[in-house]
Amino acid sequence: MGKMLVVFKREYLERVRSKWFIVATLLGPVFLGIITVLPIALAARTKSSEQLSDVIIIDATGTDLGARVSKSLAATTPGARAPRLRVVQAEQVPKEEERATHEVMNRHAVGYMVLDANTSAGKEMRYAGRNATALIDVGSIERIVRQSLLSQRLEREGIDPGRVAALTNVKFDAKTEKITDKGKEGASGLASFFFGYGIALVLYMMIAIYGQSIMRGVLDEKTSRVAEVVISSVKPDALLAGKILGAGMVAVTQVSAWLAMSFLMYQVRGPILTMFGAPAMAAAAVKIPSVAPLVGVALLLFFILGFLLYAALFGAVGAMVSNQEDVQQAATPVMLLLIASLIFMQPILLNPSSTLAKTMSWMPFSAPLMMPLRMALIAIPWYEIVGSILSVVVGCWIAIWLSARIYRVGLLMYGKKPSMRELARWIRMA
Amino acid sequence: MSEPAVRISNVTKRFDATVAVRDLSLVVPRGSVYGLLGPNGAGKTTTIRMLLDIMAPDSGSIEIFGRPHRDRGALDKIGYLPEERGLYKKMQVRRVLRFLAELKGVRVKDADKRINYWLDRLGLITPEKDWGNAKVDELSRGMQQKVQFIGTLVHEPDLVILDEPFSGLDPINSQALKDTVVELKHAGKTVIFSTHLMDNAERLCDSVCIIAHGEKVLDGEVVAVKEAQGTRNVALAIDGPSQDGVRTLLQDRRLVARADDQNRFFEIELATGADPQELLRRVIATGVQVRRFEMISPSLHQIFLERVGATGVEEGMSGHG
Repeated sequence: MGKMLVVFKREYLERVRSKWFIVATLLGPVFLGIITVLPIALAARTKSSEQLSDVIIIDATGTDLGARVSKSLAATTPGARAPRLRVVQAEQVPKEEERATHEVMNRHAVGYMVLDANTSAGKEMRYAGRNATALIDVGSIERIVRQSLLSQRLEREGIDPGRVAALTNVKFDAKTEKITDKGKEGASGLASFFFGYGIALVLYMMIAIYGQSIMRGVLDEKTSRVAEVVISSVKPDALLAGKILGAGMVAVTQVSAWLAMSFLMYQVRGPILTMFGAPAMAAAAVKIPSVAPLVGVALLLFFILGFLLYAALFGAVGAMVSNQEDVQQAATPVMLLLIASLIFMQPILLNPSSTLAKTMSWMPFSAPLMMPLRMALIAIPWYEIVGSILSVVVGCWIAIWLSARIYRVGLLMYGKKPSMRELARWIRMA
Repeated sequence: MSEPAVRISNVTKRFDATVAVRDLSLVVPRGSVYGLLGPNGAGKTTTIRMLLDIMAPDSGSIEIFGRPHRDRGALDKIGYLPEERGLYKKMQVRRVLRFLAELKGVRVKDADKRINYWLDRLGLITPEKDWGNAKVDELSRGMQQKVQFIGTLVHEPDLVILDEPFSGLDPINSQALKDTVVELKHAGKTVIFSTHLMDNAERLCDSVCIIAHGEKVLDGEVVAVKEAQGTRNVALAIDGPSQDGVRTLLQDRRLVARADDQNRFFEIELATGADPQELLRRVIATGVQVRRFEMISPSLHQIFLERVGATGVEEGMSGHG
């Protein structure tokens, strides 16, 4: 136990001191913050686009449609430059378009639209401008023209203009809520979708990064031949345990640091968003989904067990081979197990109560990723969670038992990669 | 204090079909320098690894200072320098040594003191630079060997085991190692080293054990081992031209059982019943200048060749320790 702690201490300190760890730990939340804040800031910015009304309207409909559109556009952004309406004959349109194009090129306007007989017929309108690729702007223009045309038609049918304004004023956003066994939950469906996805992804990343890092560490001890000195002082089992727990503790440290920094950033999200130019209102859109304490414990358990299982396997792979060339190949089966979970993440996200999802959350190698994902998406009965944890415990125990045996023998074996038969002999031999 | 440093009793170790060590028994007296001799592949490294509990013997028992070697803390008294040496390349020298010391149960504070002593003594702390703060891979090969050596001794072990310690050492480190072995002996420590270089062993060891093909050939104090062989050997040193006559003479099996031709020096084992005076007369008769003609005990090298046989050596060359 004492010697295991010495190994643990070395493993932990050497990793935490590395530049990679410090950079990744500091930049992780910054990166996360950017990908959270940026879309909101961008969306907010596009929504309040002042460019919307700074356009030329070429109206060849021979009606007041152009005037209606102009009025509506001007109303979206009061204070900004008003649209310039040009009522023209149909045959003048090409010449007017050419003129408008030059004006847009010379930055006298952001864009121009052409309203003609086709528009009156409800078929099409044309818009050209610098913001033609901004979906939200184009969407707004479409909506305004549609509404103007609709109210024009309604008024022509003899309906009171005041009534028309009230009737055509339809504008809504879809607000979604998730319903579980316990009733409605605060977070939106989309939020828990991203939360579940995020948790599974972080688990996957931690297992892949630190698992492989253990593998390289073991191989490094072998190739540098320091392994023999070390195991003349400490039993291989204690060495492997110390290495796995040390690296695991580094992963826990990193995730804790990320959580703490994310929480801090969440506290000051208002100023950060304002800094990016988003209105303070947008801060409310950033929500941390609530996690029940028991779910939190289960998540932690899955993380620990999943990490142990894969770390043990990666450790054994590191001890199996003797050089860098062989190690990736030897690690492929373990990586496949891990990646399989990642590949099935998509279908399970879409349908978290399917048979596939249930099966994957009972398999020891995929449960540590799948169960947290499903738990974030839907309500899972407690016996399924307990059963899944038990299955991972058993899987973990088998993996550690096998790995310790491969490790004990492999650590002093040099030469070519062992075949499956040789590996089986190692396991019997140890 | 009466029990020996190491007692290996009837130890056998098999790897699949091959027997690496067969029914080996040996006793290493406390405070002695003990040589484990044999060709490559004789089972030296396997024996050492079993001693260190890196491998488990299939049968037999091993005691260290009178206690089973698997006892708690027994291994903490041993310092081990494996044949294939290496350190954590990316780690700071001081941290590697502290780690190795801590693994042997030394407290960090004590470890740091001893590490500084050794770094200073082996010239790794100079007025310009303290190499203890450098990373291992920034050090030259010779310096890394020194660091490895400190790692072996930093916990002040009572028993030091060196597996082929002279292989790959530069002459300066090689001399430093010999000095240290002698010093350790004077400090009352026990040193076991394995080697296939008999000259080193003959000069350094109090006792030896020669093994070949996993079996003990002979063991005992060097003096006793040599005396047991009798003084049937002749050291002959010659000079001048016409040495061919001597070489022809040495082919005479009635007179000479075996001769080790080292160009200007020969170690000659007389045939049974042959008269050394007769040999001397005939050597002089060839007209060569005789620099030295002396009845001696056979060298360990000769004993080794005689007992193990040239074939054993040849076969052993292809295997590993």
